[in-house]
Amino acid sequence: MTDDSLMMDALDARVTRRNDRREFFKAMTGGAKLVGGLGLGAASVGAQAQTTALTDADILNFALNLEYLEAQFYSYAAFGTGLASSLLTGTGQQGAVTGGRQVTFKDSVVQQYAREIANDEIAHVTFLRQALGAAAVSQPAIDIGTDPAGAFSSAARAAGLIGAGQSFDPYASDENFLLGAYIFEDVGVTAYKGASPLITNATFLEAAAGILAVEAYHAAIVRTVLYAKGIETPSLIDATEAISNARDSLDGSSDLDQGVRMIGAASNIVPLDANGIAYSRSAGQVLNIVYLNKAAVGSGGFYPAGVNGTIKTSAAN
Amino acid sequence: MNSNDMIAALDQRVQRRDERRRFFKLAGGAALIAGGTTLLSACGSDDNDVATPTPTPTPTPAVVTDADILNFALNLEYLEAQFYSFAALGVGLDASLTSGIGGTGTVTGGRKVTFTDPVVAAYAQEIAQDEINHVRFLRSAIGTATVGQPAIDIGTSPSGAFSSAARAAGLITGTGSMFDPYASDENFLLGAYIFEDVGVSAYKGAAALIKNKTFTEAAAGILAAEAYHAGLIRTVLYRKGIAAPTLIDATEAISNARDSLDGASDLDQGIRAVNGASNIVPTDSNGLAYSRTAGQVLNIVYLNKTAVSAGGFFPVGVNGTIRTSTANS
Repeated sequence: MTDDSLMMDALDARVTRRNDRREFFKAMTGGAKLVGGLGLGAASVGAQAQTTALTDADILNFALNLEYLEAQFYSYAAFGTGLASSLLTGTGQQGAVTGGRQVTFKDSVVQQYAREIANDEIAHVTFLRQALGAAAVSQPAIDIGTDPAGAFSSAARAAGLIGAGQSFDPYASDENFLLGAYIFEDVGVTAYKGASPLITNATFLEAAAGILAVEAYHAAIVRTVLYAKGIETPSLIDATEAISNARDSLDGSSDLDQGVRMIGAASNIVPLDANGIAYSRSAGQVLNIVYLNKAAVGSGGFYPAGVNGTIKTSAAN
Repeated sequence: MNSNDMIAALDQRVQRRDERRRFFKLAGGAALIAGGTTLLSACGSDDNDVATPTPTPTPTPAVVTDADILNFALNLEYLEAQFYSFAALGVGLDASLTSGIGGTGTVTGGRKVTFTDPVVAAYAQEIAQDEINHVRFLRSAIGTATVGQPAIDIGTSPSGAFSSAARAAGLITGTGSMFDPYASDENFLLGAYIFEDVGVSAYKGAAALIKNKTFTEAAAGILAAEAYHAGLIRTVLYRKGIAAPTLIDATEAISNARDSLDGASDLDQGIRAVNGASNIVPTDSNGLAYSRTAGQVLNIVYLNKTAVSAGGFFPVGVNGTIRTSTANS
C-alpha cells in the first residue's frame, strides 16, 4: 500500500460515511428532530418488511434460521459435533447439515474463542426456540461443507480468495476458520439491528438487543484477531476487504460493509457509518448474502432449500 | 487455583440458570409467542425486581421521554469521548460539542498515552473517533433539547474517580495511591475496560424504553458499536493476559467492584476462561448481554451504591432529567 492509496481509501470512506449520515437524517424526515422530546415524527424505518404484517414470531424465526447456521458452524469447528437433535425440530421442513468438522487449532487462544462463540450461539438457538414455543421453525437444510460448488467455496470465490474449481475449507487452519467466521459475523449484527425497530413486544425487543450486543462482541473478537494476525500476514487484511466487497455486491447499492484495513492511523475493527452507528440490513438483504444471490430468490448458498418461516425471499437488487 | 476456577464456574452456572428462570418468569411463564398472536404485555428490565415487574426501570422521573433517554446517553458519551480523545489524541472534545442545557462543566485530567504497542494506539484512535461521532450524532438528533457536558473527572488524583474505582477493585491500595490510565498500554486498556461493558448494558437497558422507532434503530446501532468496542478491549486484555495474568485478575476485580455498586444481581463478568472457553462476551445463560437501568449505570459512574445525584466520574452529576442513582443495600 502506498500512502497515496491509503489516503484515497480514507477519503472514499469519509465520503461514504457522509452520505450515510445524510441518508439517516433524510430517513428522519428532514427537520423532524427531537425537540424537548415532543417532536416525535412517524419517521420511516430503514429495514423493509417483506410481508405487510410481520409478527414478532416471524422476525424471531428469521433470526432463529441465522442462529442455526452460526451454531452449526461454530459447534462443528470448536467441538466436532453439531447441534443436539432436540434443538432442530419445529414447523417447516427440517433439513440436514452438509459438512462441518472440528478445526485442529494451532493457537490455543483462537480455540478458546471458538468454544466461547459456539456456546453462545447454541444458547441463542435454545433461547429463541424457548421464546417462540410451538411457533419455532425447524432447522432448514444447511451447507457448511467444503465442496467446490458449496456455499463457503462459492463465497470465497466471489471474494477472489480462490479460483474456479477450488474449494475453501474454513476448518483447515486457524486463519481459514477466522475468515469463515468473518463471513457471518457482521451480517448477524446488521440483521438484528435492522430488525430492532420492527419488534413490537418490549421484552423481546430487549432480548433481541441483548443478542445484537453479543453478535457485535463476537464480530469484534473475530475482527480484532484477524487484524492482529494481519500485521504479519497482510493477505488476511486483504481477504477481509474482499469478503466485505463481495457482501456489498450482493445486498444492493449502499455500502453497508467494511473490512479491517486501517483508515489513517486508526484501526477499523468496528464497521460504522459517519455517525458512529453500526449498519442495518433488511431481512431481504441478509438473505441476499446467505443465499449468495443478489436477486429475489427463495433458497441458495448456505441454505440450499431456503430458510424456514414466513420471511424467506431475498431482496431484488 | 484449579478448584477456585471450578467453584467460580459452578457459581456462574447457577447464576446463569437463575437468570434464565427469571427471564421466562418476566416473560409471563407459559405466555410464549404462539404464531405471533400472543404478544406479551411489556415487562420491565429491572433485574432486581423479580416479583413485581415494573414498566419503569429508571427511578426518576415519572415519565421518561426519548429526549430524556438520549440525553442520558449523551452524558455517558461525553465521558467516553473525553477519555478516549485525550488518551489517543491528547486533546478533548471541541468546544462546539460541549454546549447545551445545564451549561458546560470542566474536564479534570486526561492526557495522551505514550503507547508502546502501535496496534493498541490504532485501537485507541478508532474508538476515540467513534465516541466523538456518537456525541455529535446524539447532539444533532436531540436538537435544541441537548444537554451540555457536565463536569467530568478523568484525572489521576488519589481522590479522583479512576483512582477510587481502582482502589475499590483492589488494583491499588492505601488512601494516597493513584491509578493512572494514561501511564501505559495496559493501564489504558483497564481504564477503557471500566467503561465499556457499562455502556453496552446501559443501551440495552434503554432499548425497550425508546418510543420513536428511528431512534430505537439508531440506539441499537450505538449499542452495537459499544459492544464492538468492548469486545475489542476485552480481546486485547485477554491476549495480553496470557503473558501477564494480573491483567485477567484485574478485569475480574473491576467487574466485581461494579457488581458491588449496582445491586444484588450479577450483571458483570471479567474475562477469565470458563471450562476451556474464553469469556470475552459477558452474557447470561441465554447468551444475552446484560441490561442495566439508568439508575444502576449511575451507581457505577458515580461510584456509589446509594441514591445520589453526583460523584465519581461526574463530580456535580450528569445533566438532564435522569440523574439519580439507584438505592442499593
